[in-house]
Amino acid sequence: MDKALKHALAIGARFAEAKGEDTTTLSIGAMNKETRTVSQVSNVGVGVRAFYGKSPGFSFSSILDEESVLRAAEKAVKIAKASTKKTLLVFKPAAVRTLQEKKSTNVDKHPKQVSLEEKKELCLRESKTAMEVSKNIVNVNSGFGEYHGTIYYANSEGTKTSYEPLLVGLRVICVAKKGAIIVDAKDEYGGSVGLGTFEEQAHSPETMAKNAANWALEKLKSKPAPAGKFDTLVDPKLAAVLAHESFGHLSEGDGVALGISPLSGKIGQKLGTEDVTIIDEGMPEKGGYALPFDDEGVQCVRVEILKNGVLQHYLQSRATATMLRTEPTGNARSQDYSFEPIVRMRNTYFDAGTWRPEEALKELKSGVYAIDTNGGQVEDTGTFLFKAVRGYWVENGELKYPLRDVALTGNILELLKRIEAVCNDLQIGSTTFGGCGKMNQRAYVGIGSPHLRIKEVLFGGAA
Amino acid sequence: MEENELFEIGNKAVKHAQESGADEAEAFVYTEDQTSVTFIGGIFASRSGAVKGLKGTFARLAEFWIKKKGLPMITSGIKAGVGIRSVVNKAVGFCSVSNTEEKKILEAAEEATKIAKIRPPDPNWVSLPDSKKPLGEGGVFDKRVSQLEIEDLLEYCSGSCVAMGDFDKRIVQALIMASAMSAAFATINTNGLEAFDKRTAFTAYLEAKAKSRGEEASSGEELISRSYSRDFHPLARSASKRTIESLGKKPLSQKHTGKVVFESSSWNELFSAIFPNGISALNVQESRSVYKGKIGTVVAKETVSIVDDGTLYDGFGTMKIDDEGVPMQKKPIIEKGVLDGFLYDQYAAKREGRESSGNASRQFGAASPYAIQPVIRPSNLVFSPGTGSLDDLVRQTGNGVLVKGSLTGALHSNVITGDFSVSANTAFKIENGEVAYPLKPCTVAGNLYEALGSVVAVGNDTRSFRTVISPSLIVDKIVVST
Repeated sequence: MDKALKHALAIGARFAEAKGEDTTTLSIGAMNKETRTVSQVSNVGVGVRAFYGKSPGFSFSSILDEESVLRAAEKAVKIAKASTKKTLLVFKPAAVRTLQEKKSTNVDKHPKQVSLEEKKELCLRESKTAMEVSKNIVNVNSGFGEYHGTIYYANSEGTKTSYEPLLVGLRVICVAKKGAIIVDAKDEYGGSVGLGTFEEQAHSPETMAKNAANWALEKLKSKPAPAGKFDTLVDPKLAAVLAHESFGHLSEGDGVALGISPLSGKIGQKLGTEDVTIIDEGMPEKGGYALPFDDEGVQCVRVEILKNGVLQHYLQSRATATMLRTEPTGNARSQDYSFEPIVRMRNTYFDAGTWRPEEALKELKSGVYAIDTNGGQVEDTGTFLFKAVRGYWVENGELKYPLRDVALTGNILELLKRIEAVCNDLQIGSTTFGGCGKMNQRAYVGIGSPHLRIKEVLFGGAA
Repeated sequence: MEENELFEIGNKAVKHAQESGADEAEAFVYTEDQTSVTFIGGIFASRSGAVKGLKGTFARLAEFWIKKKGLPMITSGIKAGVGIRSVVNKAVGFCSVSNTEEKKILEAAEEATKIAKIRPPDPNWVSLPDSKKPLGEGGVFDKRVSQLEIEDLLEYCSGSCVAMGDFDKRIVQALIMASAMSAAFATINTNGLEAFDKRTAFTAYLEAKAKSRGEEASSGEELISRSYSRDFHPLARSASKRTIESLGKKPLSQKHTGKVVFESSSWNELFSAIFPNGISALNVQESRSVYKGKIGTVVAKETVSIVDDGTLYDGFGTMKIDDEGVPMQKKPIIEKGVLDGFLYDQYAAKREGRESSGNASRQFGAASPYAIQPVIRPSNLVFSPGTGSLDDLVRQTGNGVLVKGSLTGALHSNVITGDFSVSANTAFKIENGEVAYPLKPCTVAGNLYEALGSVVAVGNDTRSFRTVISPSLIVDKIVVST
């Protein structure tokens, strides 16, 4: 990488940086009691970015001999030179403190020390347990995933960092059937943790399998959610997706700089109720995906996007920080060596409040308790549609009966003003399943929230 | 990389997998060189607080159109890697590495064998393919694509932006993506199979955004080809025309159930999202296809004939061999409405005691081909043309809806049942055999497999999009609502 950087400077680059990667992803999938898919992908390569004139240029190679890496450096400079003639926008990395730091990851039972056999058993234990819960559980899909290795970064200013990313995830999806009704439910857990986590009662394959199976069985007796506006208790998993998908993306510096985000120019404005604080950071204490540095060699700073309802900061790369005349926050990330870093979230969450969830439910009086989601649609205006995995109808502060087809719609910026209670049960999670997509790049992220009670949420009824 | 280098790497991997205990082994060695350019030109969104100089001012716009400047985003690079399948006691293990260093490849080969050992035996597994001579010449390899310079692609993008802006002054922004890719790949297995092929791809997507009287409209055009075409004007014109045509949108006054004209690009998108699943032999065997037990029966109108042709000259999917090294072939799928056959890879074929039809594919989205195991996919699905232009189809429809361009949500269709519900951004009301007015985004819903039985007419305006080559169609019993 050093040679590539020197070469880039020698042929005209003002600044050059390189990301090297040696990582492995393993995924195991089991259907019912049989291991169906096992696949291991190892990703090795280097990406080089060079700045010339107003523009960056980026090139990569998965072949690591000297000739190929130098060629990538050459191409990066060539692209920067071609782009600068065509660009209306100036990309100038903001000044940052140079870093020389190696960060290792030490956890008990790191997945690379655990046998394939044992990982496979995690999945099979899930399917076995779930199928024993009831004969109405007709299908059990379980999955295990892991990602780890080393990420290297160097630039021509003298920064040199490396760290060892780690992410594991375990999940189970149960399908229950009775007559013509087919429903499903899931449970999952993961983060930058060792596999010992799945030996703890709360996250064991057996606990997760029973949860998913029982929730699916309960859904067999559910009624379709009513349509209309209801006061709502949103569980941490669904609220976490709201924090990331509908709000977090709006705070990304590139969209703000281009004026695409509705949050452009709103620093200092009160956007939410007093209790609402939204954070994005690299290494939350409560779990998630641990990231010490971003892919521009910048320390991951804890960013209070929203503090007590007031918009404080955006998420920045070095270039967007220059554009918006502020400091980089360590939010420049790339999917792997073959992608240029762009502004991305890390671990985004609603910070904990003071309400106990039981109190929040009691104070809800009547309305909907919406739980978890498999995703939905969001627009860059903040408008969203999410389908909750399940829910309950609440009357007099008590759960009355289970609901299905719970679809919430609205605009996050209006919703933030109607958050009436933020609970104290913050949970942050991250898994290898899915992740966040932006500009054709995927990235692992952590998301989190406590329970939130929100006034007048619009439900679409049977979707 | 050259053919012999790929073979050498593959042979080492296969040999090492065997040494580590594999009964059979296969290596897929792949290398690609790709450059892609994304270019945004015109007015950027304007909101207070955005970067100074990027605010949507007309001065900026003028500067753009004159100097052909905008926001370019370019990446270029080389990917090479190996995907290894090891078979131990009828169980398959897969491991891949994005590298061609010997040490990494040998590690991957061992890992594949280890993975195979933890899987239960698959009673349906028979063997990896045997060596067979390719039937055709394979697809087009266009040296112009492999030698295309970054500047050429950038010029293509900024040039087409200007062409779209010049088309109509209501066009205020354009998004262009162009990419050039050349790849070489080899499959080697323990049955003595050594197969090699290479391909080039040139793709372009042009989207125009228009603003008029507070209304916004955007529409795009796509080119996916093995060979380079320097002239962007036809695509730029078509994308611009489509965008301007869709200004002045009105809501659909009432739900329409009946005839819908699908322009070839829209039909291709819907068809390619669903139909390949129905004709995959594996899905038929595992009861995930409506076509199970339907061979020899009528499943579509007599005007519908479909073949999968991996030998088609200039077909985007045409190769000498598929991604398991089996020669590509031509086979009928639906002949005058009657279901004729399915697509097979080695696994599904051997399960029925027959030969693979050369439809194993490792192309899936943006994933690197060496990092995924083969699945059954069409090569080139060719829908036989009928008679009549798109205008003729509109005339013949009388009253209905015309759907053009890209559909949102085709990939969320139920591929097993064929149910779809997509959002059409560029749709028009047809009244008295003429296009009456553009429609606000509407939902188009139906069932793809049933739609083949409700085809009213097939046009002659065949166009190719990735793996599907099809004309425009009129389909009855489609529901359009707002």
